[in-house]
Amino acid sequence: MDLLIDSFYSAILLVISVDAEMVAIIGVSLKVSCASTALASIIGVPLGFGIAFGKFAGKRMTITVLNTMLALPTVVIGLFVYTFISRRGLFGPFDLLYTQYAIIIGQVILIIPLITAFTIAAISRIDQRYRQTARTLGANRRQTAWVVFREARFGIVAAIVAAFGRVISEIGISMMLGGNIKGFTRTMTTFMALEYDKGSFVLAVALGIVLMGLSFGMNLLFHFFQGRVQSQ
Amino acid sequence: MIYTVSDLIKIYGSRTVLDIPYLEIEKEQIYALLGANGAGKTTLLNILGLLEAPTAGQIQYRARPVHFAESDLQPLRQEIVLVNQHPILFTTTVFKNIEFGLKIRKIDKKDRLRIIDESLDLVGMREFSSAPAQHLSGGETQRVAIARALALSPMVFLCDEPTSSVDVENQNIIITILRRINETKRISVLFTTHDRSQAARLAHHTIVLNQGRLVPTLYENIFRGVLQSDPSGQPQCVIQDKLHLSITADQALCNRQVVSVFIDPEKIEPLKPAKYPSTPNELQGRIVQVIEENGKVRIVVDADVWIALLISKKSYQKNGFMVGENMGLSIPAEAIHLI
Repeated sequence: MDLLIDSFYSAILLVISVDAEMVAIIGVSLKVSCASTALASIIGVPLGFGIAFGKFAGKRMTITVLNTMLALPTVVIGLFVYTFISRRGLFGPFDLLYTQYAIIIGQVILIIPLITAFTIAAISRIDQRYRQTARTLGANRRQTAWVVFREARFGIVAAIVAAFGRVISEIGISMMLGGNIKGFTRTMTTFMALEYDKGSFVLAVALGIVLMGLSFGMNLLFHFFQGRVQSQ
Repeated sequence: MIYTVSDLIKIYGSRTVLDIPYLEIEKEQIYALLGANGAGKTTLLNILGLLEAPTAGQIQYRARPVHFAESDLQPLRQEIVLVNQHPILFTTTVFKNIEFGLKIRKIDKKDRLRIIDESLDLVGMREFSSAPAQHLSGGETQRVAIARALALSPMVFLCDEPTSSVDVENQNIIITILRRINETKRISVLFTTHDRSQAARLAHHTIVLNQGRLVPTLYENIFRGVLQSDPSGQPQCVIQDKLHLSITADQALCNRQVVSVFIDPEKIEPLKPAKYPSTPNELQGRIVQVIEENGKVRIVVDADVWIALLISKKSYQKNGFMVGENMGLSIPAEAIHLI
């Protein structure tokens, strides 16, 4: 118990003192997580919207496959991407392995199914009367789609927030494709694992606090935004 | 004519919910669409609102055939607006809700502001302009939905049970609005209702649907009946397990045992109290409602089931029927129609 309390106390001091190494690690984590979430959102949100809004053969199967991909382990994605970007892989000449780009690629693959599936769920929950109302007020297909999208905005933002939470806390992809290189591809989770292996808990706990704080801050921001819009 | 409907059929799965051989709707008139739940009123309204395609048949809108292809429908939808029974407002302000259709029609901002103010004035909701739409009550939501539709100056205004889910105060406001827009803006109005007296008060014409088919008469006096024979072998129709009405042998030649029965209120004869007790098709009951209607008097009698009859004013004055009193009815076989 003393170990936990001591580690926690030291970690708090480290966070307050704004340790330079910790700041660098947080910076890398935020940079790759934001980039992968942004890229995955650009792909996943329209994809999810298209699947939910459209009528096509195999729609149910597509949704089932997407839901299955939600359970894809990060190490499997790490291995899969590794085979493409390692020196002997198809994209070997681009020297992507053990770079932040490699982590981003892996994380994008990880969260595209999540954003897509959650967007489908958000759109599907929207009352059919919104679509009918838009049409009877003279909206064309594109304008009707925009109405539905607008009504589903909180669900879609929630999907993006959930995806960000997923990538900032994942370790398999960052470790396998980033390699935990100090000052370059070392993220909060890979560093916490390293510190754990070394038996040094202080910085690991400090980063754990930061990680939880970031996740809490994101959710707080989302709820603040949701409350503001709903009271308009 | 604003609409001409011919051979309209709508099938959901294996169930035919609408089967209308012919129907004309005149422009600048108010139509009430009456019928029980599941009669097909909302489906017909959705088809006339061009939101749903019929399975078969043709609809002409302003003498032009309607082709249910999305690209062809959109220009027509700019002239026809439908307000649902439980309308939904977009999750934004009342102002922006009304502005939506105007923006689509590319109306400039100055005109938009004027039209929105006018529309909110019409429904008495101007002070709610900047209110969040999701904070309104049911009646206020209904009124804003009507304002949102009327802001678009439609040729046709379709309204699905506009007063069914609002309080009495809002019911009266909505009825007044519908009458006013028809009188002042010459908008054709078609609304569905269960309330026969509301239809009689507001509408120029009444369309009655029963199980998806047009019933060429009034909505009242439609019952579920069972055909059987009485102990002497005479055919009879038992209505709601209470009334046993003798029918003709021809009427009994029906291949169903359970039927819908319409009793023509104009063919029911009032009996003087002296003529009690009754013979087979003569009943007695208590008068529960008396209303003047289109030059006649409509009397509703509670004779185990509620039966309405329409009599002349002269007959009413002569007999002096009063609410709460007993009266007799004679239902001749020709007043009974199996539908």
